Amino acid sequence: MNEIRLAAILLLLAGGVFFTFVSAVGVIRLPDVYARAHTASQTDTLGAGFVVLAVVLAYGFDADVIKAVLLLVFIFVTNPTAAHAAARAAYEEGIEPWTEGDERR
Amino acid sequence: MSDAESEPDAGGILVPVGESVTLRNTVAYAVQVAEETDAAVIHFVVPVAWRDFGETSNAERSRSGSLLERVEVWANEDVDGADVSVETAIIGDDEYLFSPDDYAAVLAAYASSNGLDRVVVDPEYSPGGNVPLLRPLEVELVRRGFAVEEAPIGQPTRRQQLLGRGGTAGFGIIFVITFGFYQLLGGFTIVTGDAFDFWYELLTGTITAAVVAGALHRITISGTPHPARTAIRVGRLCLYIPYLVYEIVKSNVLITFIILHPKLPIEPRMTRVQSAVWGGPAITTLANSITLTPGTLTVRSDGHDLYVHALFPAAREGLFDGALERAVRFVFYGRASAAIATPEERGDCEILTETDEEGEV
Repeated sequence: MNEIRLAAILLLLAGGVFFTFVSAVGVIRLPDVYARAHTASQTDTLGAGFVVLAVVLAYGFDADVIKAVLLLVFIFVTNPTAAHAAARAAYEEGIEPWTEGDERR
Repeated sequence: MSDAESEPDAGGILVPVGESVTLRNTVAYAVQVAEETDAAVIHFVVPVAWRDFGETSNAERSRSGSLLERVEVWANEDVDGADVSVETAIIGDDEYLFSPDDYAAVLAAYASSNGLDRVVVDPEYSPGGNVPLLRPLEVELVRRGFAVEEAPIGQPTRRQQLLGRGGTAGFGIIFVITFGFYQLLGGFTIVTGDAFDFWYELLTGTITAAVVAGALHRITISGTPHPARTAIRVGRLCLYIPYLVYEIVKSNVLITFIILHPKLPIEPRMTRVQSAVWGGPAITTLANSITLTPGTLTVRSDGHDLYVHALFPAAREGLFDGALERAVRFVFYGRASAAIATPEERGDCEILTETDEEGEV
């Protein structure tokens, strides 16, 4: 039983790390501020999501689990707000979205 | 404008206008004030809250233009041969208006260059969309030495204020939520611990909750609380969250594929979707859900219009298909409202980015 739990925890952690890694790759590869904001939300949704799930499994089901879930709720509320603020600021600065064929910025 | 400059001593009236239900009454009242105070001229102006973004700006501009045309017709109707001239203008489009102070500065500059000394405001005028700007704007204008008055409107106004009426119900709701949250963070030692824990948690929890509720109940709860309706919405929200998580996972996998694809097959477009959801919380929920889903990013919300950046065609189609929008409508208004047409069927969506390629959707 404990081995299964450990395996599940490791799998979840690996998933979290994987999506965070992809997100970092995306920030480097994608061409402009708007596109990068898309991938930045990956870190917070699946990246943090999997890690928090791993934490939940590791702690077992007690009061701390509720805190971990609350943490996820707050991330889910604040992440889009921050992404929106960054994108909106770019939009209001008049930055045109990148389209195919443009130079990378 | 030349009228006002040639006879500046007669004074004039400045009326900032925007779309509002009481606009017609405000126009009538401004004309009445002009006749009473022997003002020579009334200027109706639309302070604009956008910068030059090409097409978006043009749409806004033509909307403001037709609003002013309507106002001018109404005003001339009311003036009816009296010695008052009517002028209209769009102002502030070379600046970014954000705070009441910005609006006041632009209005004041316009007023002084046209010799206007009196301001009549529409009580329902809300230049900042959902943000209540009117009261602070009035204060700023008074501080700058203008005679400011609100047009009296027969019907009761429902102005959104930062401070709601609060009341016992609001206080109670915030108190209960805060107390619950406090105990949650304390790990519920109030029930699991010994007698000392119980009294300690009860005392500190009550004090904390009372302070928070006392400070915030008039801000957090605007309008009358509807506990039953809120409970139903929270229930539906619990159904919505798994669906949202499913959507997030799905689009995360898709975007992971795209990022790791050697050719990086993206086709970013700025799009505009006129969402069929109403009210601040619903639009916020929708906009945040769109942003949380990788591939779509809410860049700007302007009333019902959401400006969404879509990274690849599938994300764009999903957006125009309105699945999230329908789910948010379900959360806030129940199942019946979920069934209305998709943004695409309604024609409420468009792609704003111009490309050189032909044949784009």
